[in-house]
Amino acid sequence: MLLENKFFRVLDVKRDDNLQAIYRVQIVPDCNVYNGHFPGDPVCPGVCNMETIKECASLMLGRQLRYESIKQCRLTALATPVVCPEVNVTVSLTETGDAFQILGQIADEKQTYMILKGIVRYNLSE
Amino acid sequence: MTISKAISKIEDLIPQRSPIMMVDEVLAVEGDDCTCQLTIRQDNFFMEPDGMIAEPGVIEHIAQSASAFAGVRAVAAGATEPPVGYIGEVKNFRITRRPKLGDVLITKITMGPEVQGVTIISGVTCIMDETVAETQMKIFVRED
Repeated sequence: MLLENKFFRVLDVKRDDNLQAIYRVQIVPDCNVYNGHFPGDPVCPGVCNMETIKECASLMLGRQLRYESIKQCRLTALATPVVCPEVNVTVSLTETGDAFQILGQIADEKQTYMILKGIVRYNLSE
Repeated sequence: MTISKAISKIEDLIPQRSPIMMVDEVLAVEGDDCTCQLTIRQDNFFMEPDGMIAEPGVIEHIAQSASAFAGVRAVAAGATEPPVGYIGEVKNFRITRRPKLGDVLITKITMGPEVQGVTIISGVTCIMDETVAETQMKIFVRED
């Protein structure tokens, strides 16, 4: 996957029987994305956090998922590798025909960084 | 508004740098609309082994297109550094296919009014006249 072991690293997983899991992940501080976002001022790109939510859901299913739509994604606090070196990525999937509704959240013990609601599927049409 | 050559260098308009620069060029600015371009290259940060970029890469491209638009306005107003903006919210993002190596993304941004430091923008991304993605976003600009 694109960002696993590059932007984030899974430290621990708590799964239940349904399509829900909490991934404890490290935000990798020496990821090269911080060379450009921003020079001398590392800030986690919001889109990388969106990708992290999707990749954790993909890990849970054991299969690569793709966003088809994001109804709403709120970035509620600025995430940086210094502010939040480790976060909990909570993902929940609900099957809807040939796709899944995805609910994702990134938070630590102090605050919530992202809340996302969207649709993922195995393949986007080509 | 006409973009002069002097301010059209993308590094003058957006604060992002390699490896996550997701706009090559501002093509046109007219009123509240701006059109930007990005060619998908092998070294794109979001490039995957199948030769297509991950979907959030398109969101970043739209966000940086809006950032470039803000940069054009800031430079026209006399700023020397590109403004740093953050995505506050993504709403109603839809993508029909992932852009592939060599695709040229043309994105039209429409910027709404700024209210208390928050601007609502909408973006539509096309490849060869085919709409591949669209979204709305709230963007915060950091005041330094």
